[in-house]
Amino acid sequence: MFSYVIKRLLLMIPTFFGIVVVTFAVVHLAPGDPAELKAQSAREAIASDQATQQIVAETRALYGLDKPLVVQFGLWMKRVVTLDFGTSFRDHRPVIDKIGDALPITLTLNVLTILIVYLVSIPLGVYTALKPRGVADRAATVGLLVLYSLPSFWVAMMLIVAFGGGGDWFNWFPITGFVSDHADLLPWYGWVANVAWHLVLPVACLTYGGFAFLSRFARTAMLEVIRQDYVRTARAKGLSEWCVVTKHALRNALIPMLTLMGTLLPALLGGSVIVEQIFAIPGMGRLGFESVLARDYPVIMAIATISAVLTLLSILITDILYAVVDPRVTFGKR
Amino acid sequence: MRRPSPRSVVLGVCALIALMISSCDFRVERSPDVLTTSLLGDPTILNPVLATDAYAQGILSYIYQGLLDLDIETMELVPMLAERWEASEDHLSYTYWIREGVRWQDGTPFTVDDVLFTFETILDPKVDAARLRNYFRNLKAIERVGDRGVRFVFTEPYFRAHIMCGRQPIIPKHIFGDGQEMNSHPANRTPVGTGPYRFAEWKTGQRVRLDRFEGYWGDKPAIRGIVYKIIPEQVTAFQLMRKGGLDADTVSAVQWARQTEDRAFNERFSKHRFFPPNYFFVAWNNRKPYFSDPLVRRAMTMLIDREAIVRELLFGQGHVIDSSFYLYGREVDRDITPLPYDPAQAVKLLDASGWIDHDGDGIRDKDGTPFRFVYLYPAESRLARSIGIFMREDLAKVGIDCEPRQIEWATLLKLLGERNYDATQLGYTGQLESDPFQVWHSSQAEAGSNLSGFADARADALIEEARRTFDRDRRIELYREFQRIVHAAQPVTFLFTSATLEVVDRRFTDVVDYPMGLDLMKWGIGPSAVLYEW
Repeated sequence: MFSYVIKRLLLMIPTFFGIVVVTFAVVHLAPGDPAELKAQSAREAIASDQATQQIVAETRALYGLDKPLVVQFGLWMKRVVTLDFGTSFRDHRPVIDKIGDALPITLTLNVLTILIVYLVSIPLGVYTALKPRGVADRAATVGLLVLYSLPSFWVAMMLIVAFGGGGDWFNWFPITGFVSDHADLLPWYGWVANVAWHLVLPVACLTYGGFAFLSRFARTAMLEVIRQDYVRTARAKGLSEWCVVTKHALRNALIPMLTLMGTLLPALLGGSVIVEQIFAIPGMGRLGFESVLARDYPVIMAIATISAVLTLLSILITDILYAVVDPRVTFGKR
Repeated sequence: MRRPSPRSVVLGVCALIALMISSCDFRVERSPDVLTTSLLGDPTILNPVLATDAYAQGILSYIYQGLLDLDIETMELVPMLAERWEASEDHLSYTYWIREGVRWQDGTPFTVDDVLFTFETILDPKVDAARLRNYFRNLKAIERVGDRGVRFVFTEPYFRAHIMCGRQPIIPKHIFGDGQEMNSHPANRTPVGTGPYRFAEWKTGQRVRLDRFEGYWGDKPAIRGIVYKIIPEQVTAFQLMRKGGLDADTVSAVQWARQTEDRAFNERFSKHRFFPPNYFFVAWNNRKPYFSDPLVRRAMTMLIDREAIVRELLFGQGHVIDSSFYLYGREVDRDITPLPYDPAQAVKLLDASGWIDHDGDGIRDKDGTPFRFVYLYPAESRLARSIGIFMREDLAKVGIDCEPRQIEWATLLKLLGERNYDATQLGYTGQLESDPFQVWHSSQAEAGSNLSGFADARADALIEEARRTFDRDRRIELYREFQRIVHAAQPVTFLFTSATLEVVDRRFTDVVDYPMGLDLMKWGIGPSAVLYEW
């Protein structure tokens, strides 16, 4: 097991290198140039004169963009192995600080979202699997399909109009940000409540679309298991239906769902651009989006690198968890 | 021990959440003396030498000051950090004497060294201020004159030199001159100036907060602080204002026309409209065969219904223009009437130019080139997209094939820089009295801002002469002749000047409309109900 993990970790290095090379190339080959954007984002959008060419050259030299791409990549790699992601082209702040600001916010949102999605979807999936093609199953299918089909930007806008009407409608929830200004004056439970109050609408937007996929997945997994002999045996033993479903069926049905774990870690980190944009939440999605628009290479590369590492790690963790959960799976020597 | 049933757990959690929400402990009161407004995005950096974006410049205008100020009522230059000034006979050197008793917001006295340091910084090639440096290329020397004087010497006379030197915000030497690299100096996020407001907080993606500087040398404003909330979506910002989360904000034309009409809104907010210098236009690439002929470009202008664009897309919040000069400025030649929307006349012009459908495929052509062009527009501009749709339909009727194509901003800039485009729509913000050199001089056609490639010897001569002319009336004459040349050539189709629309909470008093906008330095604060943070 131990040697297997080491082997897998070593194998991650070339994969990681491949991902990073491709990302670096794509980011740098995209049209648009941070130096030009800087020289031209001025009051008069394109206004500048020939001296601008010299200026663009100066700025490029300042950012090291005048060197060949390979050299730039080498320099970048050299810094990254010491965990130095450099400073942002836009505001000259260390990239790590920028990510450090955005990450806790996105993590809170995503942990809550994933928790709610799992807490609702799995019981729902299990419940509908118990009486397939029953009234509840059909109702759930239709309802989930409707939810799944609603685009989140539309729902977000509707929520904002409904809950933001200045007393015309339901003036219940805030529509911007993560926490009120000066909320740190509140006692800690007041602060937590304030954050929770702010998260109601964005989390509602982020969750409703996830129910369909996961509950269908849980339903299928459960349907597989519920027909097995050992479930029938458990019933025959005279166990209560609750005990049969939760202890004997559900535990086994959860094994295929581990595959989904593989996407969990990177999903925790990546923010939703649309929801963060509309609800003015300063999370990872907005950071990434704005960096791409400004061609802020150091930030884009840092986010890409961190996501790549997390994806690779979570794939590994998933594989290891298989062995933990399912005694039939082993690694290494037999 | 009996385990609680799942149902009771769920009920318990719900009850707890309900309790948290209903207890009023989580709301925070908001001070009525502080003005809250919004920005669509973060400022990039809070240093007036490095910042290039409008958001940063707006915030910094309350923190940093220049030697001179522009009086918002008379639009004349008035003393600010400089008490008085004088220009030499040959207009090559300008001397400013600085005010006594001014202190930086950290208590350090303001001196001539700060002025010298600011301009030395701008001229330093290692500093990320390339765009600003461009304006001071003719600055030969900056000299100290006694204890309180500073002299700028230029190599060439230029009528904007005085305003450029005078309006440049001054940065503190004792903070930025500490040997740290300017571009990543920590004070770029925690600015210290001489202005009426001092920096308090910047939470990226959330807000920038300014507090009134109690040690300000001039008249202190009544408003105790300004909060800029970062809200990337205009719909969200507008709804937040309706909820009472914002005190003042710009609104879009559609919001102005459709969503601010009800009584409840008008009881709470006052509405203000003004026209700061800006102009929108469709740029035709005059280097392309189909746009090289002035006749064709005149026809294009007559095929675009500008009145309809202002009426339908701007909800009437704009003025059709035919010039790049400030709408209310004396430079504008009011004898020029914009070309009318007249498709019949346009067809005659097109026929006369030789662009006729020779091969009978429904598309006009000349010398084997079909009149088929791509209109590029930035992805985020709804206005530019709508104009594209208008054009495609109207031009198809007269045998011109226009394909609107959406493109990302950075990519569009690159294509424009390479002059690799047919047509596009852009908006420029200008100055009260702008110098047409950058946008219209033929020397700027290859690599500068002269996107359309307009080149006219007489226009060039007029622009150059105006740069050396210090008599405003004479300059106005030169600019009017220049406008007549541009009008005849139609290198671009000028569309309109758009209004800036602002909404302000009625608890603020003395909100006066000036042609250039509002000035919150002079506002008072009236009584109001208890306000809460959202």
